[in-house]
Amino acid sequence: MWKWKKDKGNEFPEQNETVKDVTKSLEQSKDFMVYPLEGGTKCFLSYFETMVEPKVLNEIILPALKQNALHSLEEMKDVIPVEGLAITNDVDLFRQRVMQGHVILQMKEYDKKFLTIPAVIAEHRKVSIPEVEFSVVGPKEAFVESLDTNINLVRKRLTLPQLTVKELNIGKMTKTRVAILYVDGVANQENVNTVMQRLKDIEYDQINDSSYITQMIADNSNSPFPQLLDTERPDRVTGSLVEGKVAILVDGSPHALTCPTTVVEFFSASDDYFLPWHLASGFRLIRLFAVIFSVLSTPLYVAILSYHHEMIPEDLLATIVTSRADIPFPPILEVIILELTIELLREAGARLPTKVGQTIGIVGGIVIGTAAVEAGLTSNVLLIIVALAALASFTTPVYQIGNTIRLLRFPFLLGAQMWGVVGISIVMSFFIAHLIKLQSIGRPFFAPIYPLRFHDLKDAFIRLPFNKQSMRPIQTRPVDSSRFNQKRANEKRDVDE
Amino acid sequence: MNDTKGGFHVPENLMVTSTMAFFLVHSMQVGVGILGFEKYIAEDAGYNAWISILVAGLAIHLLLWMIYRLLQGCGGDLVSVHNFIFGKYLGGLMNLVFSVYFLLLSLTVLRTFVEVIQVWVFPQLNTWLFALVYLLLAYYFIEGGLRVITGMCLLSVILGLPLLLFKFFPLQIGDVNNLYPMIDASVTDILSSAKVSTLSFLGFELLLMFYPFIKDQKASKKWAHFGAFYTTMIYLISALVAFIYYSEEQLQHVTWGTISLWKIVDFPFLQRFEYMGIGLWAYVVLPNICLGLWAASRIPKRMFKIKQKYVLWLYLIILLIASNLIDDRRMIDALNTFTNQAGFYFLLYIPVLYIMMLIMKKVRYRHGN
Repeated sequence: MWKWKKDKGNEFPEQNETVKDVTKSLEQSKDFMVYPLEGGTKCFLSYFETMVEPKVLNEIILPALKQNALHSLEEMKDVIPVEGLAITNDVDLFRQRVMQGHVILQMKEYDKKFLTIPAVIAEHRKVSIPEVEFSVVGPKEAFVESLDTNINLVRKRLTLPQLTVKELNIGKMTKTRVAILYVDGVANQENVNTVMQRLKDIEYDQINDSSYITQMIADNSNSPFPQLLDTERPDRVTGSLVEGKVAILVDGSPHALTCPTTVVEFFSASDDYFLPWHLASGFRLIRLFAVIFSVLSTPLYVAILSYHHEMIPEDLLATIVTSRADIPFPPILEVIILELTIELLREAGARLPTKVGQTIGIVGGIVIGTAAVEAGLTSNVLLIIVALAALASFTTPVYQIGNTIRLLRFPFLLGAQMWGVVGISIVMSFFIAHLIKLQSIGRPFFAPIYPLRFHDLKDAFIRLPFNKQSMRPIQTRPVDSSRFNQKRANEKRDVDE
Repeated sequence: MNDTKGGFHVPENLMVTSTMAFFLVHSMQVGVGILGFEKYIAEDAGYNAWISILVAGLAIHLLLWMIYRLLQGCGGDLVSVHNFIFGKYLGGLMNLVFSVYFLLLSLTVLRTFVEVIQVWVFPQLNTWLFALVYLLLAYYFIEGGLRVITGMCLLSVILGLPLLLFKFFPLQIGDVNNLYPMIDASVTDILSSAKVSTLSFLGFELLLMFYPFIKDQKASKKWAHFGAFYTTMIYLISALVAFIYYSEEQLQHVTWGTISLWKIVDFPFLQRFEYMGIGLWAYVVLPNICLGLWAASRIPKRMFKIKQKYVLWLYLIILLIASNLIDDRRMIDALNTFTNQAGFYFLLYIPVLYIMMLIMKKVRYRHGN
C-alpha cells in the first residue's frame, strides 16, 4: 500500500556541528574547493568544482570581488550581480546550498556567517521528439530530465494564472524535487490533497524516476495495472490538467504522471484528438480489439484445440489439423514455447543497443520462426496467431499498459488448459472483479464502464466530436465541469438563413 | 436519501445508483433456468405457454410493487420488515428461513451450472475442484461488497446481449405456423403453466436485501420494473423461438432447449456455438451466486452483529460440501424441483407480508391515537 511507515529517525543525525566540522567533512571529496582569495577583497571561497558553472564563477563572481575592495558580506551581496544571494549563519543551509552548487563566501576561514551565491551548472538534454509516444501529427515535444524545463513546457501551453505548482522534496538521500501541477478552480481539491498526502507520506531513500512514485502512491500496489498514467508528452499533460486531473513531475525523470485515470484512458492516444472524430474512434476501436485479441487469441487456440475442436468448421479444421499433424507437443506446450520465445525476443530487443536490436528482430522473426515450423516444433497457424498477438500488443499508446498486457495472457492460458472456454471465462471474471475494485487516487479505475457514466462514454471507446464534449469527465469530479454551453452548440441554422 | 429508519446506515460510497436496480433485478432473475425452461412450461399449456409467460410476468410486476410498498412502509430491508411485523423472535426465525432460502438459490444455480458443464462440455469435470474455484471467485467478488457484485451484474447483462442475437439463427429454419392456433389451451392450463414459469422469474425478491444500498430509492422503482419487464421479454422471445424451432413432441425430449438452439449458430470460422455460449454463461451465472450468497450472509450480520466474512466462509463451505453430495441427474432434478417449490411459497409469502403490514400499520396507528 501507499502508506509508508513514517519513522522520525534521520539517515544522518545532525549533531551540534559547526561550519568548521562541515567543511572538514566535505574536504574529503577531491572536487570540494576551499581557498582564500587575494586581491581587493580578502575572503574565503568554498564550492564543489563539479557543481559550479565556471562561467558564473570566472566571469561574474571573481571579477566583482577582485575589482572592488569589499570588507563585509553585505557589501559583496550588493556588488555581485547574481540573483538569489543570501547571508545566514545556519549550518544546515551551508551544507544544503553547497551541495546544490552554490558558491559560499566567508570573511574568515570557518566563519559562522556566510554568503551563498547560486552558480549551478545548468546541464540538461535538449527538448526532443517523443520516442515512446510518437505521433505523426501534433506537437513533437517531449519532456526531459530537468524539472524546470518540464514545468516550463507545461506552462508555455497553459498560460493560466490558475495553474498551480506545488513542490516537495522526497527521498531521504536523494532529496528529489517533485512538483504537483493542477488547475485551481477546475481540479477537485480532494484529489490534490490525496496526492499531496500520499507524496508526503513516502519514506524511502531514493526516487530515481517517476515510476518509483507510481508504485509508491498507487492505491493497490499489488495490482498488475498501472494506476497512474505515465506520459512523456506535454500536450497530453496539459490536456489532463484542463480536464481537472493532477499531474506529478519528478526531477530527473522525462515522464509525467497524471491521475486520477481510468483503464480506458490507457488505450487513448494523443492522435485521437488530432484526427477527425470518426477516424479517431475507428482507430481507437481497432486498438481495443487488438488488445483483446492479443490477450485472448492464444488461450482460445489452446481451449479449442485441446477440448472443443468441434467448434471449428470442417474446412478450417482440415487446415489446422494438417499444420499440426507432425507436432509432438500438446497445444498448451506448443503455445507456451512460442510465447516465451516471443517474450525472449522482446526482452532481448529492449536491452540491446538499437543497431544490434534490429538484427535480433530478423534472427528471431525469420530464422527462428521458419526453422521452428520446418523442424516440426510448432504449427504455421500458431506462429501466425502468436506473431499477430505480439503485434497487436504493440498498439497500446501507453507503454506501461503494454507490459501488463504482455503478461496477462499467461493466467488465461492456464485457465484455458484447465477448463477450456469456461476456464477463460473464470480467469476473465477474476480480472473483472479486480478492475472493479481498483481505484486511482480514490476514484474508480474501471469507470466509465462501472460505475456506468454515460457522459464519460463520449470519450472512452469512441471519441465524439468536440462540439459534443461540453462537459469535462465526471471521473475527476471537477469543480467547474462545463467546457462550453452545449445548448448554444446545438442551435442549428434553418434552411436559407 | 439514506434510510436510517431500519436502524442501520449505509455509507454513500458503498451505494449504487438507482439505474443499477435494473441490472440487479434482471441479472438475478436470469440464471441457469433459462437454459432449459421451455420443456417445463410447455408441459401443460403446450405452445400457448407464451401467454403464461406474460401472465407470470404481470404477477411479478405486482409482487415487485408490493415489495416496494413493504420496504417503503417499514424502512430498511427484509430484516427491518420482519422485525416490524413479527417482532424480534418470530421475525428472527423468518429471517433465518430467508437466509437459508437465498443460500438454496445459490446452491441450485451453482450445482445446475456445474451439471450443464458436465453434460455439454466436460463429462469428467471434477465437481469439487470446479465448485471450489468458482466459489473462491464468488468470494473475491462478495468481499468487495455489493458495489462490486453490481458491477458484475452490469457486465453480465452486456456480455449476455450477443447471446440474444443468436436467437436469429434457429428462426431462419423454424416454422412460424407452429404458433397457430394462437389460443387453444384452457385457462386452467395456461394458469398452471404460468405457475411453472413464475419459477423462472425467481430472484427479484433479493431486492428485499439490497434495497437500502440504492441511492435514489424512489427513482429505482422504475428501473426495477424495467428489469423485470426485460426479463419477461427475454423469456418470451426464448420461448417463442423454441416453439417455432421445435415441434411440440420434440420439445418434451429436449432438456436444455436454449443450449440445443445454440448448436444451430454457424459461422465460417465457428460452429457448435454452445461451447462459447456456456463459456459466456459463466458470466451470467456468477452474479446470481454472488448476490444469493451476499444476501444470505448479510441476514445473520444484520441480526447478530457478527462479521459477514465469517458467515460467508461458513456458507461457502456448506455450498462446497452440498454441491459435492448432490452428484447425479436425479438429485439435481430433485434439488431444482424443491427450490422451485420453495420459491413459489416464498412468492406467495410476499402478499401475506404486505397485508400483514397494512394491518399492523392500522393497529399501531389506532394505538398511537
